[in-house]
Amino acid sequence: MATYVIQRLGLMLLTLFAIVTLTFFLMHAVPGGPFVSERMLAPEIEASLNAKFGLSDPIWLQYLHYLRGIAMFDLGPSFKYPGVSVNQMIADGLPVTLRLGLLAVICVVALGVPMGIVAALNRNKWPDTGVMLLATMGVAIPSYVIATVLLYVFALKLGWVPTFGLDDWRGYILPVLALAGFWISFVARLSRSSLLETFEQDYMTTARAKGLRPGQVLFKHGLRNSLIPVVTVLGPVVANLVTGSFVIEQIFALPGIGRHFVLSITNRDYTAIMGITIFYAALLMVMILIVDLLYLWLDPRIKLSGQSA
Amino acid sequence: MSEETIAPAMWEKLDRSASETEVIATPSLTYWQDVRKRLWANKPAVVSIGFIVLLILAAIFGPIFSPFSYSDQNLKLANLPPVFEPYRVTDSSGASTRFFLNASNFNLYQVSEGGQVEEIIRGERKDMLKKRQAFKFGDQAVTLDYSSLPAKLLNADGSVLRPEGLQWNMTYLFGTDQLGRDVLVRQMIGARISLTVAFVATLVNFFIGIFYGGIAGYVGGKTDAVMMRIVEIISTIPLTLYVILLMVVLDSGLISIVVAIGSVFWVDMARMVRGQILMLKSQDYVAAARTMGAGTGRILTKHLLPNSVGPILVTLTMLIPSAIFIESFMSFIGLGVTPPLASWGTLTSEAVETLRAYPHQLFFPAAAISLTMFAFNFLGDGLRDALDPRLRK
Repeated sequence: MATYVIQRLGLMLLTLFAIVTLTFFLMHAVPGGPFVSERMLAPEIEASLNAKFGLSDPIWLQYLHYLRGIAMFDLGPSFKYPGVSVNQMIADGLPVTLRLGLLAVICVVALGVPMGIVAALNRNKWPDTGVMLLATMGVAIPSYVIATVLLYVFALKLGWVPTFGLDDWRGYILPVLALAGFWISFVARLSRSSLLETFEQDYMTTARAKGLRPGQVLFKHGLRNSLIPVVTVLGPVVANLVTGSFVIEQIFALPGIGRHFVLSITNRDYTAIMGITIFYAALLMVMILIVDLLYLWLDPRIKLSGQSA
Repeated sequence: MSEETIAPAMWEKLDRSASETEVIATPSLTYWQDVRKRLWANKPAVVSIGFIVLLILAAIFGPIFSPFSYSDQNLKLANLPPVFEPYRVTDSSGASTRFFLNASNFNLYQVSEGGQVEEIIRGERKDMLKKRQAFKFGDQAVTLDYSSLPAKLLNADGSVLRPEGLQWNMTYLFGTDQLGRDVLVRQMIGARISLTVAFVATLVNFFIGIFYGGIAGYVGGKTDAVMMRIVEIISTIPLTLYVILLMVVLDSGLISIVVAIGSVFWVDMARMVRGQILMLKSQDYVAAARTMGAGTGRILTKHLLPNSVGPILVTLTMLIPSAIFIESFMSFIGLGVTPPLASWGTLTSEAVETLRAYPHQLFFPAAAISLTMFAFNFLGDGLRDALDPRLRK
């Protein structure tokens, strides 16, 4: 277990290093500098600005500086908002993004799995058809389309929920649903097919034959075994829900990291783009690691193979 | 107990040569014939193929035959709906005018009997305080009253004018957008751009993936270990972020999108190809080919790759919708093709801007993306089932 965790952490650091390097050199491949604009600055001012931000140094020195900053969790200043650091931007947005992401994960589990169960129990009857239709739609329709349609119907036409902002709990409903839509459908489909496969197993027949009540058969024997594939995809799900939020944050005007990211793209705020990318990557990798460890802890069979590997 | 009598003829020996035990009743099919048969039996997949073919034809030929260009603006005829309710006013000389009211921008447009949009109707000065505007049709006066919504048209005597029912917009079948461009032709240009991006990016992914996975799988050993470690690192990087970064560096435009998507999403393909090659290279026929003196290149291209065509095809079909998805996503956040060019993503984001007043504008791009995603998903599922020899009946 410990060696596995250490291995994973090592790989994670290596990946992060690769990401930082790639991001740094990509952003420095952009022609022009931050102070090259329509308003021609006096060359002296430009030179002193460049010197202040270390932009006149050779590129490898800048790279080392940046690496040192990252190692000390300092992502540098924003180019567009003087006096605001990228760290501050992230600290502003993180609570909103995390809250949305976690609520969406809860939604995925709390809605997707029961939908799959209902469909599997009523195979080829109308609840199954309904759930599968909904799930197919959820997989095929892009999240921003779902978001705008939800916004139009429930916020503009019916007025049940506010169109933007998170002032009360109702503000969360639409963004979370739009964010989770794809994965709810995905998990519903997955748990349906996995449950149907489990129903075919001999131990299910045994459980029924020895006289267990249907509820016991389903929950104790069926679900526990059929949910393993669902737990496996939860890692990528968590990762995707946290990054997937930037369009949703944009549409619902929520002040999360995603919105900062999209804004810094439109503003061409290069340090912010770099910083947020690196932060996102790190966040995702930590999330995936946590989910994988949880998974090890949940399923004893995996633990053995994980140790031997 | 009664005795049953058996006719002596029944005890005669059968002619062995005439027996039909060894005849195979069904015609023998090659693998691909079998695949085709199973694919044609899959209704959703066949419908999807039909849809995709139609879409491709519309994307290629549609804009050529359209009377409008995707970039020509006509601000006088902006935001027209695809369906309207025509009104008719006949003056004392018997001349009648048909027109419809665009309830969101309070303009009247003259239409022909057949539903062709002719021009915007100029009214008298707007009375901003009372929220009214008068229109003259010969000697008939009609007042547009928008003081309370929905806006209504009043006759001279104050009675409400009634529409003649619904009619489809025959000039602009899908209506026009906020700059008065034909939505139908933009939709087809959007299909052209989105499909081009998807196909080219998938092709780029395909070649990189085959090359990388093929080498890793075939050479094996240390090379394989290093190459796969690199793939492992790449696959933990959130790729959407990298497409975005590349787009920022390369500046928006068609080629950059293709490069950005194409250079990032080959990892799955590489993994799959490697797995296939690893599995196939230990087969006897490969050993036989090698004994006969075939070189690495020949074995790879003539023996290993053709035998992994099935899974490669399925992965390709599944890559296309995700490429469409990413492209529309990028365009949606403003990193896509540059205006006036359109893709489904830019069309959707333009429609979102006018969502409050003209919600119908969202319908066409959203439907186009969703239906295409459905089609490719069904086709991919169908192909996977058809290519799986275990499902052979």
